[in-house]
Order: sequence, then structure tokens, then C-alpha cells
Amino acid sequence: MKEKHITEILDNAAITSLSELELTEIRVHTKDCVSCRDAYEAAQLSAVILRSRAQVTIEPSPFFQTRVMAALREQQAVESVPAMWRLWKSAKVLVSSMAVTTAALAALSFVLPATSTPVDQPVSAFSAESVIMGQGSDELTYEQVMSTIYAEEDEAGK
Amino acid sequence: MASRFFRQRSVVEEAAQEVFLKAYTQLGSFEGRGSLEGWLTRIATNTCLNMVRSSKRRPELTVSDLTEDEQSWMDQHSAGDGAEQASVENSLVAADLADRLLALLPPEDQQALLMIDGEDASIKEVAEATGWSESKVKVRAFRARKKLREAMEKLLDHRGKTESR
Repeated sequence: MKEKHITEILDNAAITSLSELELTEIRVHTKDCVSCRDAYEAAQLSAVILRSRAQVTIEPSPFFQTRVMAALREQQAVESVPAMWRLWKSAKVLVSSMAVTTAALAALSFVLPATSTPVDQPVSAFSAESVIMGQGSDELTYEQVMSTIYAEEDEAGK
Repeated sequence: MASRFFRQRSVVEEAAQEVFLKAYTQLGSFEGRGSLEGWLTRIATNTCLNMVRSSKRRPELTVSDLTEDEQSWMDQHSAGDGAEQASVENSLVAADLADRLLALLPPEDQQALLMIDGEDASIKEVAEATGWSESKVKVRAFRARKKLREAMEKLLDHRGKTESR
């Protein structure tokens, strides 16, 4: 083989960008060199499939933009909120309920006793003496009960 | 950009969403020296490359791995008949075949080759999009082109042998 093999020309640049001089050199050489002819054929096919591959375009689905915007908003929300605020957001229910309970307990302990009026307190109907004796003033004695019963029977008899 | 690396719509959308999120969070680091498009392209390229790196590469592709459509496409085109009859269906088969062969290459090589040979991008354009030096782009494209050609040659050779039997 007198000429240099042309595989280097094939690998150096895209086959579509080869000059007329280079293409002539390839044609002349491949007439006699079988291995370079195979290489040239393979290079041509490679160029065809690469062009076909480059033409493939994929249209995004109709929801793509919505999904990206949602992801962006989510990321933006995460980044813009300070750490303490994020902590508060996650624990606010617990903290609020604790605060309300504490406030309620404080109100019951300090505010309500001070504002309550002593008017409502009932005055004891029993004297100390009657309590000690185990007898209230509104309780009737045995004699009183008996006399009342007999008095009613007498009136009924009359 | 993402469809250069992936064919499944869900994966392309996943990559695109990640690119938008990264761009949003890193917008402050954009110094305004280059174009915004170039900056976004670089983020997209790096994101997609990372995603491709995480998927496994095939060690080799043989004729038996090809679908019937892909085999008949190769028959048509290697024989030289119907090479000009480019239909949408044929293009999709060719694109599938390209994906299979490109999967043999490292993701960076795939990127360089697809941009230069598939989209007619210049070395400089690829360098700007990827952030690589121009010499690195040249080396990657050369290596990828050679490997793709050799893989294609092997397929043609296998096919020739099976046909002659």
C-alpha cells in the first residue's frame, strides 16, 4: 500500500466537515484498501446515526412548568424562612396549648380568688352551743313533735 | 440540552428540573462575564453528565443486541440502497442505534461527539458549553469518533459474517 491509511482523517473531524481534497484522498485510497473501505463505511453510518440522534427533541409534558415552579417555590420557602421560624412552625400547636394552660392556671391561682365576693358565703344556722350539743335551732324536740301531733288529732276529733 | 443525553421524557424532565433549581440557587454566583445562556448551558451539561455517570456503561455491543428494526436499518444503509430515504421511522431507529453505540463511550465523549458531529458545533462552542479546554474537546471528539467507528465496523463485520453463512 503506497498511501497512508485514511482512518486518521476519518477520526480527526466529522465526515461532513471534510474538505474535497480529503474526500478525494479517501475515495482513491479505499479503492484498493479493504480495511479502510470498511472504516469509511462505518464512519459514514456513524455520521448518519449521530445526525438522527441530534435531531431527536423531546417536548416537555404540559405539567412540566407547573412542577418546576412548585419545586422552585418549595425551595424558596425553605431557604427564606429562618431556622427559628421553621422550629416554631413545627411546634406551634404544642407551644400554644402549653401557653394557654399556663395562663389558665395563673388566672385560677391569682385572679379569681381576689375578685370573688364574700357575700355568697352562707351564715351558719347553728350556734356553737347547739353544734356542740348536736342540735340545730331549727330542729324540733321530741316533745314539740308529739304535742303537735296530738294537737292536730284533738282538732280533728272536735 | 437534556434530550442530547437522554431519550426518556421523564428523565429529560428530571434533568431539566434539576438544572432550573440549580440555576435558581446559584444565580448569585453568576458574575455576568459570559452570557446567561452559556452559564445555563454549562450547568445543564454538568448536571446531565453527572446523571449519565451514575448509569452503567455497556462494555460492548454485538449484532445480537440489536433489534430487528436496527438490523434492517443497517442492511439498508450499508448496502447503499435507501440511504437517502430518510423517514421519521428510520430516523428514530437510527437514533436508537446511536444511543446504543454512544452508551459504549464515556459521557464526556458522547457529549463532545454529539455536539460536533451531530449538531455541527465548533470545537470552541463545545468548549464554552462544557467549560473544557479546546484541546480537551478535540481529544475527546477524536477518541469518541474512533471508538464509535470501530464499534460500527464490528457490527458491520458481524452482520457480513452472519449473512455469508
